[in-house]
Amino acid sequence: MSGYRRLDVRRGKPVQVTVDGEQIPAHQGETLAAALLAAGVDEFRRTRTGDPRAPLCHMGTCFECVLTVDGAPLTRACLTPVRDGMVVTREAGQS
Amino acid sequence: MKAVTIVGAGPAGLAAAAVLDAHDVPVLLVDEQPRPGGQIFRQPPASFPGAEAAYTAGYGWGRDLVTVPERPGIAFAGSTTALGVLHERVDEGGHGLVAGPAGPRTGPDRLSVVLRGPDGVRSYETAALLVATGAYDMPVPMPGWTLPGVVMAGAAQAMVKSQKMVPPGPIVLSGAHPLLLVAADQLVRSGAEISELVLTRGLPGPREAWAALPAVPGHVAMLAELGASVARLLRAGVRIRTRSTVVGATGADRVQAVQIDRLDPHGQPAGRPRTVDAATLVLGYGFQPSTELARQARCRLHHDAMAGGWVVDHDGTGRTTAPGVYVAGEPTGVAGAEASRAEGVLAALSIVADLGGAVSARQWRDARRGVRAAARFSRVVQELFQVPPALLDALATEETVVCRCELVSAGKLQSTLDRNPQMSTVSAVKLECRAGMGPCQGRYCEASVSRALCAARGRRPDQAGYAAAHLPIKPVPVSDLATLTTDPDAPASGGVR
Ligand code: FES
Repeated sequence: MSGYRRLDVRRGKPVQVTVDGEQIPAHQGETLAAALLAAGVDEFRRTRTGDPRAPLCHMGTCFECVLTVDGAPLTRACLTPVRDGMVVTREAGQS
Repeated sequence: MKAVTIVGAGPAGLAAAAVLDAHDVPVLLVDEQPRPGGQIFRQPPASFPGAEAAYTAGYGWGRDLVTVPERPGIAFAGSTTALGVLHERVDEGGHGLVAGPAGPRTGPDRLSVVLRGPDGVRSYETAALLVATGAYDMPVPMPGWTLPGVVMAGAAQAMVKSQKMVPPGPIVLSGAHPLLLVAADQLVRSGAEISELVLTRGLPGPREAWAALPAVPGHVAMLAELGASVARLLRAGVRIRTRSTVVGATGADRVQAVQIDRLDPHGQPAGRPRTVDAATLVLGYGFQPSTELARQARCRLHHDAMAGGWVVDHDGTGRTTAPGVYVAGEPTGVAGAEASRAEGVLAALSIVADLGGAVSARQWRDARRGVRAAARFSRVVQELFQVPPALLDALATEETVVCRCELVSAGKLQSTLDRNPQMSTVSAVKLECRAGMGPCQGRYCEASVSRALCAARGRRPDQAGYAAAHLPIKPVPVSDLATLTTDPDAPASGGVR
């Protein structure tokens, strides 16, 4: 699945984020939501009925992008800048 | 002197901060984004070298506005969420009594805002609070709108403008708002693959534009920019469908195709949709005011469909019905960046005056004139691009999820109403079927619930009411609230400038 395409502009320095045990390359300043989408991750969480969900608003309003980040649940990926070594788990059956 | 807290660093909050600072009033400016600008002037991350926000025609003033938080009298707290307002009565000994209006008044009121930032959750006493929380996209539930790949227009724009990323194509955009044209233009110029732009109305013709001109002195550049956007889209080969709408999206685990239908003269889908491949569906039907903080602070609201729904009552100069709480920008009605900036200036003058500062007659006059001029323009734009009201509910089928968080379908909502004929308020419906109880707290379903209720009971939205907002107005892990402390000092800048 092709994801979001990074435009050809200078970005922050490269960082690595671990998502469900898998390394994902990103750049400082990118939101976690953007980095995941660029890595081709479409599914941020599953509802309790098993339906996939992904960011809708990218401004912190819809809570469709929530993940567990460094142990903190309910973290909105669209408001969270990536950090080197960040550990992310996707939420399953949250609602 | 205690600082005045402004929640929202968009045009309204920034303009207000500048005025307060000019009157030597210290300001704490709070925003969930790491950098100031709001959604309209959303800036690229500070760590992207040389990246700068784009200021389209008519919005050149945004460039100066985003630098306001750098002034020494203003503390900017980025990446910080306002969770609520505490209104305490204080006795003569200076001890806080109960929150809220109960009990005899024995001392002054104490107003605090509860903020969650990089250094935890804290409550800060404040001289006054300006609610400049902006607006968010108007949700239009339709089959498939919960699929990954469906995004709101503001989201697509933020990805291009701030994150410098474009969504996968083919992209279909659907909606009614001029922002959709601007977003489409930005996407095309970034090399995105747009297959169709679907608008519920016709493009404004020369006759309408001509009729609008007297209302828009000073805004000609903005209208011209809109025209230029359309011209660029057509040149780039984007198909623009007018009097049509996307009626649904389909795909296994993400959007793969969308269905596009024409609208009949009543604004209803004609019933013969065609299917188009799409990896991304961008929705832009308009905006609704973000009023949760004002609701929680016990400001009175009224319903104004044309202005986006529930809006905060004020005295014409930003004073709400809650002592010490002021409002500016979209929470008073969705009217665009220009109107927000003008209202921010006026509300700040009210705060200065109420704190005992001097405001000249000329300052009042200029500020009021600014608000009037901006309002004239935004009314023209609102009328040109109003979404046909019948359309908002025409697209959801029985299975369509209306409340995305609690998985309440349109059918379940309807059966709740059918089974409980006595039910007459939005709050009652929420308690019974859980629509609005999830993490987004009704932001994306309250209007749908209200419309379903009003249709079933023959009520008006102001009779159906709205769901109350409680602290925290955005959900946080319980452990975070447990650390709530009172802090006399303003938070340090939470974001990267
Ligand atoms: S995408 Fe809506 S809250 Fe993050």
